Amino acid sequence: MSKTPVPKGFTPVHSARFGKKGSQKLAGYEADGGYASWKKVAKGWKSGDFTPAKIIDMVKASGLRGRGGAGFPTGLKWTFVPPKEKRGGKPVYLLCNADESEPGTFKDRLIMEEDPHQLLEGMLIASAALDVKHAYIYIRGEMVRCAEVLNEAVAEAYAAGYLGKDILGSGLDIDLTVHRGAGAYICGEETALIESLEGKRGHPRIKPPFPAVSGVWDCPTVVNNVETLAAVKFILDNGPEWFKGMGRNEKNTGPKLYCVSGHVEKPGVYEAPMGIKFMDLLALCGGMKGGKKLKAVIPGGASAAILTAAEVADLPMDFDGVAAAKSMLGSAAIMVMDETTDIPKAVTNISKFFAHESCGQCTPCREGTPWLNKMLKRLIKGEGKRDDLDLLLQISNQMGNGMTICVFSDAAIAPVISGITKFRDEFEAYLSKAKAPDFALAAPAEVTPKVADRVAEGIHG
Amino acid sequence: MSKTAKVTVDGRSVDVPDNSNALEACRAAGVEVPHFCYHPGLSIVGQCRMCMVEIEGMPKIAASCTVPIRDGMVIKTDTEKAHAARNSTMEFLLINHPLDCPICDQAGECKLQDNAVTGGLPVSRTSEARRQYPGYERTDIGKHVIADMTRCIQCTRCIRFCEEITETGELSFIERGGHTIVWTHEGRALDNELSGCAADVCPVGALTTKEFRFRKRAWWLDKTRSVCTGCEVGCNIAVEHKDRVVHRFIPRVNADVNDFWICDFGRFRSEELNEQELFRPVVRGKETSWGDAQDAIKAAVDAAQKDVLVLGSAKLSTETNWLAAQLFGKHLGANVEFVVDRGDRHRVKNKKADGNVAGWLEGYEAAPNSRGAEAAGVTRGGDTGALAAVLTGTLLPKVIIVLDAAFSAKAEDPAVIAALRKAGTLIVCSRRRSALAAAADVLLPVGGVHNDEGTFVNVQGRVQRFDCAYIPPPIVRTQLEILTHLGKKWGLFDTRWTARSVFEEMRATVPGYAGLDWDSPALVGSAPSASPAAPHDVLEAPAKGGLGLPALQEVGS
Repeated sequence: MSKTPVPKGFTPVHSARFGKKGSQKLAGYEADGGYASWKKVAKGWKSGDFTPAKIIDMVKASGLRGRGGAGFPTGLKWTFVPPKEKRGGKPVYLLCNADESEPGTFKDRLIMEEDPHQLLEGMLIASAALDVKHAYIYIRGEMVRCAEVLNEAVAEAYAAGYLGKDILGSGLDIDLTVHRGAGAYICGEETALIESLEGKRGHPRIKPPFPAVSGVWDCPTVVNNVETLAAVKFILDNGPEWFKGMGRNEKNTGPKLYCVSGHVEKPGVYEAPMGIKFMDLLALCGGMKGGKKLKAVIPGGASAAILTAAEVADLPMDFDGVAAAKSMLGSAAIMVMDETTDIPKAVTNISKFFAHESCGQCTPCREGTPWLNKMLKRLIKGEGKRDDLDLLLQISNQMGNGMTICVFSDAAIAPVISGITKFRDEFEAYLSKAKAPDFALAAPAEVTPKVADRVAEGIHG
Repeated sequence: MSKTAKVTVDGRSVDVPDNSNALEACRAAGVEVPHFCYHPGLSIVGQCRMCMVEIEGMPKIAASCTVPIRDGMVIKTDTEKAHAARNSTMEFLLINHPLDCPICDQAGECKLQDNAVTGGLPVSRTSEARRQYPGYERTDIGKHVIADMTRCIQCTRCIRFCEEITETGELSFIERGGHTIVWTHEGRALDNELSGCAADVCPVGALTTKEFRFRKRAWWLDKTRSVCTGCEVGCNIAVEHKDRVVHRFIPRVNADVNDFWICDFGRFRSEELNEQELFRPVVRGKETSWGDAQDAIKAAVDAAQKDVLVLGSAKLSTETNWLAAQLFGKHLGANVEFVVDRGDRHRVKNKKADGNVAGWLEGYEAAPNSRGAEAAGVTRGGDTGALAAVLTGTLLPKVIIVLDAAFSAKAEDPAVIAALRKAGTLIVCSRRRSALAAAADVLLPVGGVHNDEGTFVNVQGRVQRFDCAYIPPPIVRTQLEILTHLGKKWGLFDTRWTARSVFEEMRATVPGYAGLDWDSPALVGSAPSASPAAPHDVLEAPAKGGLGLPALQEVGS
């Protein structure tokens, strides 16, 4: 694996060891200074040099925000866990959300495949800070290689005494289990992840109660993304000030892995300080593929609103910067589209994904996502009707903003609304090409195939 | 007791228990928020997104069933935003619904229909093909239930019912998103002791029972409060009937007994009530009048001089048993006894069956009222009683009166019939032709439990009233009428007595009946609900006694 370029003056953090020979192995990790922080924490635990409050304060001071998509301050999230005396004897669980399934995202996979011990060390530190006795990594089912690497790493960590009972003489007992999901997008939503971990269908829960109060098996639970937990290790290594030193401002700090895909010369995972300008990032990727013109960018995975070339011209790629442009950084899955891209087709493709992945719990999402997809499919087939664009926008507006239990439907409508409002002329071009509408009933009925048939056809999923 | 909180709903202030949710608070204030997945007997999932309301201080619109109330909460159901949200959900639910109300059994008691009539958009904006489910339409999924996924709105009430109430978990979501179906797990059938309730809780026509499908339009049905006679639990039911035909039983809500449920055994006994086979009194093979039949009985009983055995029944009301005990036991000095079969276990789930913990209320006796019969003064027979003596031949009464030909499974045993037949005169009250009826000297046609009113005492010792759905066909009488008429022959009773007047008379002496009021809610239970899918949505019907007719003082007032 070749080294990816980084911005000038920036030393890679998460990706420093990516591609290095034996980077997954404990020996190599230790040789590069790994587990030093964990040893420090374990050593200082009994003497009181390290306390939960101290670790949480460091994380808070670093300004670390959740790398999974929402960008919620991690330290603050940790403080929502009730203090021991208010837990009624219930244990606290730490769940690492490794169900990386947002289209366009592939950063957590690299951490887990290339440098799994940085995640384990981060999780151990977080577990100590949160009084966690058992931590879980919920990993997306399709990522078989990741699960294998992680399991090997966990075994190594147990053998070396970094995990298990009375770790390094600190009196801390921490176990860690890697749990493989079954490959549903919705299980990346933290409460659906919890349900799935409990062995149920991945259906998001009603909130409140939030997981910090009542999560897995009704116990206080903290769910953090892979990159977030790995970042905790680096904060302990180098201190919160170092972490804060990177980034655009006080609220957008630290190093960030960006997943760049689409029409760029060299798509891949790029590490840069939080808040790198989009154009600088594009330059790192070798610019637009074939020198074509930039047309649009999806800045944070399929759930994020599409931005035009003008909107990204001077856009800092961090939580608040992208939010100010009325989209979101999400998982930093940046999909770049050049002038040849057919936006209606791209939006239709995204809507197909969401129609396929809706969990089916809430009416607006279950019925709305396929409706949007059917209309868009009809539109690009040249069978659109005059009112379709307005209807698409109206339906989208009926689905979001509290109409459903989780934010899936808000995610599903973002590309539709942004696509139609920003590239309306392209959609209207399809309308003007439209044939005279057929009699509605002539359309073939959509059919739910029998489960057995779907299995036989190999499309069951 | 739980504490209460003050909540304002659309400007109306109301006190509700502080563990209520916003939807329940609205109900308490008399505001019905349309809903599908909320069911008072099941857990909250908040996934139909129908019960959307605005709550002051909350930035987004909220599903009211998912919002726990707090003191001072201000709920607004009648705002533009709330209406828009609910209309939106209705639109989403209807874009793939087949709209086959004219051929759907749920029509008339369908929540989707109701909510479409009271709200929703007046037009359809979809032109896409509706979803179809080949292989999942009109399919037999269990002993009693037929499923049709085209009508399903994925509210999961049936899934939750099978998980939380019967704890059998046959049903599940299969597939995902718009393709989600509710079906039984591979290779399993929906077969549990309460499976009919899964069709009850279904707010649409996706689950229907085989027994009721295509029998009667729901809006034609008259509903009469009754109590199930299948076992001693005494589940509260509504007998739903039209034109003197009983079509089905639906549970009535009673938090102390059957909650929202009844078992399949009890539910599907409804057809038995339509089996009236005898219509005229018969004395020694000849059809005759009631007068002649009564004269024959009086003559036989007088001649027997106390050597009479009267078999009461745990299937008859306490009032009827009390009349029998008074007339034959107290006045004429005869043996008055009943026997009850110990049958299979029947049970129903109750949230607070075991203290305040959910559990099963179980019944083993194959009759609803052994406790009432005993309280009324009828002796509980068994291995040693008078009937046992008759069967072994050690007792040979001159006259045997069987008040209920179906008093026990024994009544069909030829050996038992032969033993009873040894009496000089065998008098039998029966609805149906049977070997015992054929053996009787005097055969009296009687109606069923739905033809009379009265009270039963259930396994918990709870006195519960059942009402008369319709009077028996001419000239069939009820046992209560037969006894009042017979009693008059001895100058004891008055033929104008009804179950209510008997009840009032016997309160003074029958244990457990002292101080009870015929019209009290404790006896009457809740009114029948408008739809089995909305058990909490009860019809407003005042508690009335007296064969469904208004009490005398109400007439003309």
